[in-house]
Amino acid sequence: MPPAPPAQPAPDRADLLQGTLEMLVLKTLALEPLHGWGIAHRIQSMSKDVFLVTQGSLYPALIRMKRRGWVKTSWRVTENNRRARYYELTAAGHRQLDTEHSTWQRASSAINLIMSATLAPEGA
Amino acid sequence: MNTFSDIVERIRGLLFRRSDERELAEELRFHLDMETEHLRRTGVSEHDARRHSLIALGGVERVKEDVRDARGTRLFQDSGADVSFATRTLRRNPGFALVAILTLAIGIGGTTAVFSVVNAVLLQPLPYSQPGQLVRLYQNSAAHPDDRGFVTPVHYLDYRSRMSSFEAAAAIETYSEVGADIGTGDGVRRIRLLPVTAEYFDIVRVHPEIGRGLQPQDENATVVVVSHSLWLEQLRGDRSAVGKTLTMSGRPYVVAGVMPDGFRDPIVGSVDAWVPVDLAPGRDVSNADNHYFSVIARLRGATPIASSQAELDALSLTLAKQYPSASYVRARLYPLKEDIVGSSSRALEILLGAVALVLLLVCVNIANLMLVRGSERAREFAVRSAIGAGRARLVRQMLIESLTLALAGDVAGLVVARLSMSGIVRLADGAVPRLETLSLDPRLLLFSVVVATACALVFGLAPALRIARTQPGDVLRGQSRSSTGGSAQMRLREWLVVSQVALAFVLLVAAGLLLSSFQRIRDVPLGVAPANVLTFELHLPTVRYDSTRRAAFYDDLAATVAKIPGVRAAGGISRLPATGNYHVWGTQPLTGPLARTPRGDIGAQQRVVAGDYFRAVGIPVIEGRVFDAQDVSGAPDRVVVSQTFARRLFPGMSAVGQRIAAGGRQSDIIGVVGDVSINNEGAEAAYVYHSHRQWAGNRAWALTQVVSLNTSRAHVERPIAGAISAIDQQLVMFKPAMLEDVIGRGAAQRVLMLRILLVFAGVAITLAALGLFGVLSFGVRLRAREFGIRMALGADSGVVRRMVLRKGFAVTAIGLGLGVVGALMTSRLIASVLFHVSPLDPRVMLGSILLMGAIAGLAAYLPARRATQSDPLSVLGSE
Repeated sequence: MPPAPPAQPAPDRADLLQGTLEMLVLKTLALEPLHGWGIAHRIQSMSKDVFLVTQGSLYPALIRMKRRGWVKTSWRVTENNRRARYYELTAAGHRQLDTEHSTWQRASSAINLIMSATLAPEGA
Repeated sequence: MNTFSDIVERIRGLLFRRSDERELAEELRFHLDMETEHLRRTGVSEHDARRHSLIALGGVERVKEDVRDARGTRLFQDSGADVSFATRTLRRNPGFALVAILTLAIGIGGTTAVFSVVNAVLLQPLPYSQPGQLVRLYQNSAAHPDDRGFVTPVHYLDYRSRMSSFEAAAAIETYSEVGADIGTGDGVRRIRLLPVTAEYFDIVRVHPEIGRGLQPQDENATVVVVSHSLWLEQLRGDRSAVGKTLTMSGRPYVVAGVMPDGFRDPIVGSVDAWVPVDLAPGRDVSNADNHYFSVIARLRGATPIASSQAELDALSLTLAKQYPSASYVRARLYPLKEDIVGSSSRALEILLGAVALVLLLVCVNIANLMLVRGSERAREFAVRSAIGAGRARLVRQMLIESLTLALAGDVAGLVVARLSMSGIVRLADGAVPRLETLSLDPRLLLFSVVVATACALVFGLAPALRIARTQPGDVLRGQSRSSTGGSAQMRLREWLVVSQVALAFVLLVAAGLLLSSFQRIRDVPLGVAPANVLTFELHLPTVRYDSTRRAAFYDDLAATVAKIPGVRAAGGISRLPATGNYHVWGTQPLTGPLARTPRGDIGAQQRVVAGDYFRAVGIPVIEGRVFDAQDVSGAPDRVVVSQTFARRLFPGMSAVGQRIAAGGRQSDIIGVVGDVSINNEGAEAAYVYHSHRQWAGNRAWALTQVVSLNTSRAHVERPIAGAISAIDQQLVMFKPAMLEDVIGRGAAQRVLMLRILLVFAGVAITLAALGLFGVLSFGVRLRAREFGIRMALGADSGVVRRMVLRKGFAVTAIGLGLGVVGALMTSRLIASVLFHVSPLDPRVMLGSILLMGAIAGLAAYLPARRATQSDPLSVLGSE
């Protein structure tokens, strides 16, 4: 377990990119069904504490994804015997993850190309 | 996106809102617990862990709000919540809700009802096709161009045949002698018969549903067109009734047609049967002074009334030469609608103005109420805004609250409208023509509902918008005056009250003027003593009563009735006194200075009397004698004239012994009696009274009986009925009524208007007083701290009280000043319905100012007293 995060975000923490939260949640749920806190915690640890998902954005996002039919929910009992709502990817959710993933890859590689570009003489 | 699952989820969200909320709460609690547990395991203390995780969560309620937004069912859920919240808030403050709803109800209900009356009477066209072409023709003379005289049969025949701009002109018998008895034995009843010319049905463009109307060749035939109800009653609704015989007054008539259900005569209203008018007298030139037709005409195509009038003027010149003896040779056309509605129109316009004022007052009051409410809730809204309520959300909440209020007011207004409608019809009691067509017009209702609702919304929203702009922190830190009672807003509210006082004052003055006119009318001498005089009609079937029998009958009846204990005197007359024009005949002096001069040629009211008429109604004999046993049919024609008549035709001399020509006869004046007003407003008129015994042969007069009593009506009505049936078993006492009531009926329209205006003025004063009270009370609450300090520093209660009173006085004084200006501006409008009262009557003005001032003083005194009653310590301590 990583050390407890202090109240203030760590200096090396980054804001989630606009529009990526849903993709990250889809990815997380593609691994296994999880409850809300689990999703937030998993994203935080997978990103090595770079991304902190606030509940204020997580739960509305989950509701939206449910409305779109990407996830389904069920109440289950956790390993420490508490009732929790679990979110699980649907077939539509898997398809959506694929779409978003490939879109992201194209976009990020394009951004990387731009950001790593150096000024080379034209027609060299 | 999967649209289907989206919709399903949203609907599910709506249906299972409660369980969703529960699950969300549980999910967030679980999240919080997990986070706390997680932190605690890393060594943070239980308390700090909880705190950190709460901060990380960002406020449970905030998250819940965001989740609710994401559900996409937000608008519906919140609106539902807002409505239930609004009703709860309103119920918590029932005084405010009640006042607002009542105000709206009065505004919507009262205005709709009165506007419906105006609409029914004034605005809606006559129920005949192309009513704009319909005109009524009255005869007048060069000396009296504004007279509305009936038309002689002689002139009618000329108008009918020679006016090319008339598509048709119909003559209608004007006098009510022309009823008929129908049925047999005990079932005999009097029906209303209307003799008309054949053109009548073409002019109104309503034709019988069965059979045909009257034809020109029917002129002297005994044919009849019956009303729908008479057809059902007497002919059992037989569709083959045409051609059958209907016996009326003992004469057999052939049924020509049946009018459709609901058809009403434009002038007299309900009629049972139409028969051909007898036009034979029109061919005798001696009748050129005998005015007894009502003439209506339909203008050809789009002929303007002015060009038809021009043709009529030219024709009148020709006719004047043709009938040199006639006194009324000119004629004027009036639009039929204006003729029927006539005197009501100005009264209704004033009512309409009053309605507009009341509606305005209601809106001002609602505005004021809403502003106060908005101010009072500034703190509540600041708190809600501070704990996360969105501004749009607050505004919407306020909007829905205003809407809820407005809806409740609208419903209450509907109820008030219905009630006042039936109230108005009852109050009017037949005094306002065409009122029977009254119905609640949905468009009118919609109009006032929209106006009142819009008013509530706009002024409900204004404070919410302002609150949404203010910083909640300011409000909560106690700098509340900036938002709750900003001096600009206070001034606005004071000006609203000023306008209320002014509007209420204008209405009060109008009601006061009308009330004062009404008293004057009550006091005006009519020339008769109508108190305790019983009147009733008796109709003698023409078959069994020839002129000799009729002549004897009315005198015998008067003599018999006079012997009944409790009866002072009894007689009969062709038209009850002070009930309007009737039988205006050209009259000329044959002796004296004006003999055979144009100036002596006047239209005088002619009345036929029997029995002891003059004593029965209390008309004094000034000179000479009234009719007695010597004035029988064989004797020389004799008349009794009124003082005004004597003064006009025989100035400076005694009229007794002089001779006049009237109604085609030459008569001796045997006496002069006191003047009798032509109507209940004391308008003077020249009267000529004839003896029924000498005129019984002229036509079947239906004399209305007058019996003056020195006991109550109940004691004599039965003996009189007994006396009548002792003479003839088939005769019935028809329409018994007290003379006072009969004369008063003409005033019913004025009474109706007076009552409505009084109610409106009462409402207006109440609203203005409430407004003043509200503004001052609120001011006192705002300044409670200041007053507390002042009193703690030794100011006595008188000083504080005066401070509040001064404010109330200033507002009232400005309002009254504006109100006087308003009253001056409206004075011209109201002058025409006033009677012997100047529209600027100082008594009324002063009275209104005093009344308004007194009520305003009361409204100001209560808050002023409260200002001094507050305990300085508790006020200062509460801050």
